[in-house]
Amino acid sequence: MKKHRVKIILIIAAVFLSLYFLYPTYQSYRYSEKLASLHGPDSLSYYDSHEKEIRDARMKRIKLGLDLQGGMRVVLEVDVVKLLDNLAKNKDDVFNAIMAEIRQKAATSDQPLFDIVRAAFESRGVRLSRYYGSLRDSDSDILSQLEKDAMSAVDRGMEIIRNRVDQYGVSEPSIAKQGGRRIVVELPGVSKESEVRQLLQGTALLEFKLVKDYDVTAKVYEAIDAYLAKHGSDTTSAGIDTTAIAAATDTTKPAVDSAFAAVQDTAAKGHPWLNLVRPQQIGAMLVGIVSDDNRPRVNRILARPDIQRLIPNDMEFLWSAKPNQRIIGEGKKWFELFAVRKQAELTGGVVTDARATIDPNTNGPIVLMSMSSEGAREWSRITGANVHKHVAIVLDNAIFSAPEVRGKITGGSSQIEGMDNIEEARLLEIVLKAGALPAPVTIIEQRTVGPSLGEDSIRKGLTAAVVAFIVIVLFMITYYRTGGAAADFALLFNILWILGVLAGFGATLTLPGIAGIVLTIGMAVDANVLIYERIREELGTGKTLRAAIDPGYAKAFPAIFDSNITTFFSGVVLYEFGTGPIQGFALTLMIGIVASMFSAIIITRVLFDVMLERGASTINYG
Amino acid sequence: MRFFKETHIDFMGKRKVWYTVSIIALLIGLSGLLFKGLTFGIDFLGGTELIVQFDRPVDVGRIRSALDRSGMSGLEIKSFGSPQDMLIRTPMQVEGTKVADAIKATLTENIPDTPFKVLREDKIGPKIGSELRRDAVYAIGATLIIIMIYVGFRFKFIYGVMGVVALFHDVLMTLGFVAMFNGIGPYLNLEFSMSMMAAFLTLIGFSINDTVIVFDRIRENLKVHKTESLAEVMNKSINQTLSRTIITTGTVVMVLVILFFFGGEVNRGFAFTFLIGSVSGTYSSIYVASALVLDATIRRKSKTQRTTR
Repeated sequence: MKKHRVKIILIIAAVFLSLYFLYPTYQSYRYSEKLASLHGPDSLSYYDSHEKEIRDARMKRIKLGLDLQGGMRVVLEVDVVKLLDNLAKNKDDVFNAIMAEIRQKAATSDQPLFDIVRAAFESRGVRLSRYYGSLRDSDSDILSQLEKDAMSAVDRGMEIIRNRVDQYGVSEPSIAKQGGRRIVVELPGVSKESEVRQLLQGTALLEFKLVKDYDVTAKVYEAIDAYLAKHGSDTTSAGIDTTAIAAATDTTKPAVDSAFAAVQDTAAKGHPWLNLVRPQQIGAMLVGIVSDDNRPRVNRILARPDIQRLIPNDMEFLWSAKPNQRIIGEGKKWFELFAVRKQAELTGGVVTDARATIDPNTNGPIVLMSMSSEGAREWSRITGANVHKHVAIVLDNAIFSAPEVRGKITGGSSQIEGMDNIEEARLLEIVLKAGALPAPVTIIEQRTVGPSLGEDSIRKGLTAAVVAFIVIVLFMITYYRTGGAAADFALLFNILWILGVLAGFGATLTLPGIAGIVLTIGMAVDANVLIYERIREELGTGKTLRAAIDPGYAKAFPAIFDSNITTFFSGVVLYEFGTGPIQGFALTLMIGIVASMFSAIIITRVLFDVMLERGASTINYG
Repeated sequence: MRFFKETHIDFMGKRKVWYTVSIIALLIGLSGLLFKGLTFGIDFLGGTELIVQFDRPVDVGRIRSALDRSGMSGLEIKSFGSPQDMLIRTPMQVEGTKVADAIKATLTENIPDTPFKVLREDKIGPKIGSELRRDAVYAIGATLIIIMIYVGFRFKFIYGVMGVVALFHDVLMTLGFVAMFNGIGPYLNLEFSMSMMAAFLTLIGFSINDTVIVFDRIRENLKVHKTESLAEVMNKSINQTLSRTIITTGTVVMVLVILFFFGGEVNRGFAFTFLIGSVSGTYSSIYVASALVLDATIRRKSKTQRTTR
């Protein structure tokens, strides 16, 4: 017994460690049961008094993958090209052309993005310092700085998304970076996909922009109208379809009406613009009313370079975020087109707090915002200088509302109206509080597993595991007798250790992971088989029991090691290559291989040695 | 208890026969690949895939015509594990999840009498699909190279090479079978998805496992039986390890069969692939790998003999 003290201590230590790691899972399970059995206020008070323990247990328990508990997995890609666009100054046509080329190449080729950027600038002989950094910076310096900026933008984006997800209230979300520009978000138990998508994708760029006066806007309208009448209308050469003017939201404007009447009689041919974009006076603004189906046409027109020359440099057109609920004509939805000052007066960075609530006056959902002290100062200056004009509240380049400035606002507060319902207001609140994403993100992969499939999968996986275990146990005992029993005993340890390591590392158990455990059960006995066959051979040459066991283990070892290492390698490659559930499988495979080597070589050996010392003269190896 | 008393099969002597068997089997597999081809899951193709469960079984034709009417035609629709579960898939790429939403809306409108719930919904953008394809090739290539280096290092280089050749044999054979059996029977869904990839990578690791056991025995016996020819030593080694090889494969096969029947639809493709792969792997360990090493060694010996003469 003494010789084996070290080995026995090792084994017992490993068992205790595994049990220690697995204990929180058991605890968490018990807590859930307890909470489920209590009702109402009892359950709540139980939770309150045990909150810390419950949360601790929850954090340390074995995590179930999305395929086992249901939920969403979203992979977001940060649009670094747009980020580069945002960071540049003195943008001109050359720059825009280069950006377009970069964007196109990036979408189709596998080259690293910054190589594409460098090549695009070099091929035109344009120095990067024209648009970034200072004049004396070399191209490589600027490029490496840009790369750092891009990386930090992705990191900041990740933090902001983490913030938003936390506020949304998901239990155990997982947010991780993947590669240079991707963020993987896993939200267990979540099923409201459209909400989540909105939550994750909205850049939340909040801007306050001054709306241009009626006269100025009217002049531009007339200029465009006359030009189009002379030069033919929209189906056009330029073909650059800007969808930069984005989504829809609602502006609760007081006046609605039969302003149409005024426009109704413009003959189509003579006023191509005014017929598409029907002008309406609201307060001090000239707002264009456009039907939803005409919006692409209007966008196309506005994107034409010849039309753009008719629009003053400091003016841009933005759409309302939502169709105006109160304009009903011809059964269509009508959006509003605003002419605003391009440069924002104030941006969302000054917003320190946001709160979604119901406006007592209108009973509609609104989001109240408070600003920082510099923001408040600026806001009071802006509102003071522009009384009776309109300030548009722009979110992600779409106008939510453009209220008239009735007087100077000194408190640094403002509000956004125009959401459809309180849930949307709440989403906006979260997104404003967490901050604006430094660059837009697109969803490149989205997987949703319903909860019922998850439960079903767990059940099936566990059934397979249990059945496999029983079958193998029976087989080993039948074929290898005592040796088989020892191997089965070791197998139990095996499974315990795999689960313990998973819990200890905070790894996730997935359905393929369970399959990996099942597979390990089948492969774990392999090492034992090798050893026992060897022992049988040695016994067959007439050696005594004791003299047969030693070479049995010794000679089998190189084979066990070599063969298991190669399977281990493929596990490593699989872990690197796979995502989510497949990584779970690779993990259980690798852990299983190590555990089974350990248990086959050490545990069974100790068992036999102990048996021999206790005086067993024969051990039946079948 | 033993299945195998001491065996003395002349494996190496009969190897030409087995080469022929292998080549025939490979050709059958390859023809399956070429004519029927592999269907790729959306993991690799990109697109949208929806698995819905109806309260009662719904006829596929009904679903298809409903989708056709909404302007979505050419979608793949098949059952997924049970007659109530339907898998609907299309490689269409549209911004966001419009496709999935449209499909769900169509189903709700057109099959109002049978409500459904969404079991799973996946949308994969085009870039991810092509990246995955590329990564898959790299992964398999990397594994084969690592294995070749390791085996070549632990034994002799020629063993490494032939071990990997045997692996190729296994992979091709399994691919062929997978292509052939895909779709036979309503619930045998063998398209190439990530879990199939996992099955292939694992069976590569597992098949070389077997092969290494045989190599190890050969290495040991070569040291002991220095006077015997390579062919004789190989025969002896394979006979000695036969029992163990069959039994290990047997246990794995048992486990896989259980997984196939009890492990749920998701694991079925994996189980089937691995099953074929492990049988092929065992066969290749017994016949292909060692026989190839033998022939390569003979050829090299006769070459050096000719040049030194």
